[in-house]
Amino acid sequence: MGHVQRRLASTTAKLASSLSVAHLQKFPPKELLSVKGQEIPKSTINPEAWASLQPPPSTALSAFAHRIGLASVLTSTEITQQVCTHPSFVQLVQQHKPHDPAPVTNGQLAAIGNSLMGLFATEYVRATYPYLPTRVMKAAVTAHVGPLPCANVAQEMGATPLLRWHRSRGTLLKSGVLHSDALASIPRALTALVYNQRSLPSARKFVHSYFLSREVDLRGMIKFLDPKKALLEMVKKFVFNSSSRLLKETGRYSNTPVFVVGIFSGEDQLGEGFGSSLKMAEFRAAEDALLRVYLTRTPPHLVQFPSETFPVGLGDVFTKAPEGEYKAPQLVESEIMYASSGNSFTRSA
Amino acid sequence: MLGRQLPSFTRFLARTYAPKWPRPKPGTAERPPYRAPDPLINNPSATVTNLPDEELTFIHRPPPTAPSPISYTTNPVSPLLKDPTPSTSSALPPLTRPSTESSYPRLTTEQIAEIRRLRSVNPVKWTRGVLAKKFNCSQQFVALVAATKKSTRRQLIRNRDVEHEKNREQWSEKRRLVVAISQKRRQYW
Repeated sequence: MGHVQRRLASTTAKLASSLSVAHLQKFPPKELLSVKGQEIPKSTINPEAWASLQPPPSTALSAFAHRIGLASVLTSTEITQQVCTHPSFVQLVQQHKPHDPAPVTNGQLAAIGNSLMGLFATEYVRATYPYLPTRVMKAAVTAHVGPLPCANVAQEMGATPLLRWHRSRGTLLKSGVLHSDALASIPRALTALVYNQRSLPSARKFVHSYFLSREVDLRGMIKFLDPKKALLEMVKKFVFNSSSRLLKETGRYSNTPVFVVGIFSGEDQLGEGFGSSLKMAEFRAAEDALLRVYLTRTPPHLVQFPSETFPVGLGDVFTKAPEGEYKAPQLVESEIMYASSGNSFTRSA
Repeated sequence: MLGRQLPSFTRFLARTYAPKWPRPKPGTAERPPYRAPDPLINNPSATVTNLPDEELTFIHRPPPTAPSPISYTTNPVSPLLKDPTPSTSSALPPLTRPSTESSYPRLTTEQIAEIRRLRSVNPVKWTRGVLAKKFNCSQQFVALVAATKKSTRRQLIRNRDVEHEKNREQWSEKRRLVVAISQKRRQYW
């Protein structure tokens, strides 16, 4: 979805969501009216801005807390309100209501939650797919807990009418705030809240149930520049040979030939691919051979995470309770250096 | 071929699709139309499961070249993650490129020194291909043994690209189109 479509969707969502005035004693409030007898009204306020400043009803906040199953953590509506308030909202309040106290925002919580989610997603992807190349692992982590999935999960939870934020354009010093950025802060803040009020294993359980149970297609994320070269390197690592053999063919001199080529190491078939030319079939066979290794996953009952050593319960993690059981898996062969962007993200000493 | 009109009373008896007559001429390359075997009937790799409770028969016919099945670390699909099977004398499918299996004789140190000398003296005249032919080794071996300096290599590649660009400008529109199509197809590999 492009920027324009997203903006249209957020504007319509804003207009469509009904504004509750149950928290007001009198409607319409004085600030919207012009005082009788005075030619110039007391304070001019844009109706849309006024609407965006109004808090969501406490019933909606309480319903949200129960809907996502965190009623015991989000004990009061103030905490839920804090979770649903993006830091960009402060500017809006100070602009229109400078005498009101600044609202409590989810900025800090979102930062902690983001780090925690990254931790859980990384250990999950690494434990599940031990042979995955680093760049694909990073893409998988983004697909699980990146800004877009966070915003989607927030929408699925039903946090859109509860979100309080303010759109801003990007400047040289500060980046802009879009609707999806503001929405993404809500699940992150929830993760941090669960971590603060309960424990790390509970926060991990929350992230697993909402984010790491989502289906992510890894096959589409793995693209090859030269799969034959990459396969040669991998095969050398495992001390194997590689030779391509023609398994089946049809229509060689016709308009539509089909070749099925297999890449063999001695008698073992490493990969198979088809194509309309021998080169294409070999290319696909090399891709298949690499994908068979990369997409090898640990069976779900054998997956273990390093963060399982953290004990359940509040308090000092080192002294409160004995650490959980964790048996480190055997290290597998490291990834090949070809097309891996090498040391580009590390600082040289 | 279908110019003749059948009388109305025989039209529902005769078939006009894939006609059996006229027969292919003997002694020519004409062949009767190819009738592919129906993959639904007599498929050797089909697994048939009877479900008597629902009075159904479940038939699974895997595609001819199935994509890689799910691979687990406890039972990996790739032979790279398992021990290599000991070689038996069973016949393997033919190699796609049989010529690459040729083994070259080992070169002496004098020959290697001569390769290096010629390549450094005039890399444009003594190219990898020419040297490989002269000394009966592979081009990759020449590149390994007598690699040119990176600056020289870059200059040679630049010269080659300029020459290729000049040639490409002389192409006809049709050739340009054909090449563009094949490049686009390459993207979909």
